Amino acid sequence: MTSSLNAYLVVAGLLFAIGFFGVLLRRNILVIYMCLELMLTASNLALVTFSRFNNTMDGSLFVFFIITVAAAEVAVGLAIIVALYRKRHSVMSDELTSLSH
Amino acid sequence: MNASAFSVFAENNQWSVLWPEISLGLIALILLLLDCFLPKDKRSFVPGLAVFLQGGLFLAVSVFFIESRGMDAFYAFNGLIYMSSFGSLLRAFFLLSSLLVSYLALVYFKKQPLPRTEFFHVMLIVTAAMMLLVQSAHFVMFFVALETVTIGFYVLVAYCRTSAFSLEAGLKYLILGALSSALLLFGIVLLYGVAGNPELPAFTQDSMSFLSLQTFIENNAHNALVQLGVLLVISGVAFKIGAVPFQIWIPDVYQGAPTPVTAFLAVASKTAGFMVLLNLIQGPFASMEYLLKPLLSAVAVVTILFGNMAALSQQNLKRLMGLSGVAHAGYLLVGVVAAFHVHWAPLAVLFYLITYLLGSFAVFGVMAHVAGEQDEAQELSDYQDLAQRNTTLASVLTMGLGSLAGIPPLVGFIGKVLLFIAAFRAELYTLLGVSILGVVISIYYYFGWMREAFFRSWHAPQEAPVAAIPLSGVHVFILGLLAMLTLLLGLFQNVLGWALF
Repeated sequence: MTSSLNAYLVVAGLLFAIGFFGVLLRRNILVIYMCLELMLTASNLALVTFSRFNNTMDGSLFVFFIITVAAAEVAVGLAIIVALYRKRHSVMSDELTSLSH
Repeated sequence: MNASAFSVFAENNQWSVLWPEISLGLIALILLLLDCFLPKDKRSFVPGLAVFLQGGLFLAVSVFFIESRGMDAFYAFNGLIYMSSFGSLLRAFFLLSSLLVSYLALVYFKKQPLPRTEFFHVMLIVTAAMMLLVQSAHFVMFFVALETVTIGFYVLVAYCRTSAFSLEAGLKYLILGALSSALLLFGIVLLYGVAGNPELPAFTQDSMSFLSLQTFIENNAHNALVQLGVLLVISGVAFKIGAVPFQIWIPDVYQGAPTPVTAFLAVASKTAGFMVLLNLIQGPFASMEYLLKPLLSAVAVVTILFGNMAALSQQNLKRLMGLSGVAHAGYLLVGVVAAFHVHWAPLAVLFYLITYLLGSFAVFGVMAHVAGEQDEAQELSDYQDLAQRNTTLASVLTMGLGSLAGIPPLVGFIGKVLLFIAAFRAELYTLLGVSILGVVISIYYYFGWMREAFFRSWHAPQEAPVAAIPLSGVHVFILGLLAMLTLLLGLFQNVLGWALF
């Protein structure tokens, strides 16, 4: 029982780490965005695992809230990315340097 | 679960206690409906209506606070919401700041051809979410309210969608904000998982509520997963308040965002972050003092020094306000650390935030009037001869900056003194020394700005005189009121003292 809990958590932790380092290292904003979503998904996986092994329902319910929040975040985020692309014709993060002195 | 348990649940769902938040949501929806169904030429009164309704709600909430002062705090919605008179005061605070942001927005929209109603809609939703955030006592409520605030701010920061600067600021805030939310969320998940583990002492079935977590963490303060979870949650909150090392977004986002949004971020978002931090370290994380006290102290020292040093050489005023705001966050963190030992330190933090609200909005109000069409390019040199172009603006600017710098007899001085006394009582002498050093450094750039407005006026006689900035009576009244409040509250603090202590 415990060993499989660890297996799930290792997968969730790996997903989270991949997402985190992806955000830090990648240059394409869309890929960065995917990595952000990956981090939220990792949290969801961990939540469901804990919910199952601790026998409480809060975690599984919380997942729905997180999915909703993630959807709202994607909607706003993609709108901003599209609007910025129309202005700048680029989605590379290292070209976004107009705001620095 | 049987029927009687459900009826207990239902009785605890007291929707009526959330009337300010619900009213704000309704006002926001009404604005949107008016914008949809009114013909185009009749929509001009909508922003005025938004300001009027908010003003009414602010009065109602203030009266409610005065009436209910000293009432017993209680949990509503089965422990999702913690209602206290402190929470009511914070509601009034957030409404006041949204009211002042609306004023700045009205000034801003005179210069920018942008749709107006949506701005007020999103702003009201964000205000309501902040009210819920500071009163939440459960991690689900906490996370949803926090994300409502954050996502609302993504929209507001990128609101000027004709400007690449605003969009870029919005994108930067979006990516870093989402990153910090994900860290915070993973922290919540770890705490939830470890607190529900039946093999640990004092495990709990309700492992997301602050109360049960507090008992659990008291018994397992040295568990590695608990430590990691607490660190992740604190770093998510540190992003909101702009503490080092999570301050990288501040200069860019403050510069690119429309001026009213910059003010909203600086005052309301920071206040929400600090109140959440205080809720956490006095509630669930109280027994993590051994870890959090050295950590937050170190962060406070670096934040104060970084904010002040980086602000020294700034020429762009919105970046200057952002970086000096980082320094203010550092002073406030000193108050938060003091809250581990001094029971009235949270009130000193709120007092400081009220003084910060008055000073900042005075300065941002002047900035909104002086700004040209390029909202992101507000340079120090634009303020040359301000005293000759408009004496009122220059005086209000002086009062606001003086209050932010902490010059007696303005109210900012009292706020700093209270924080420093709290730090002294808590025996945080290093932090106290660093804060005083920070205040001394900050006088350089605040007074540099004043000097630009007053004393840079050497002109050759043949040169054309600078254009005056026209200012109508309403604006003089509002800005003058803010300036007078910084002075009067600096001389007579009894009103605020009565409300807080």
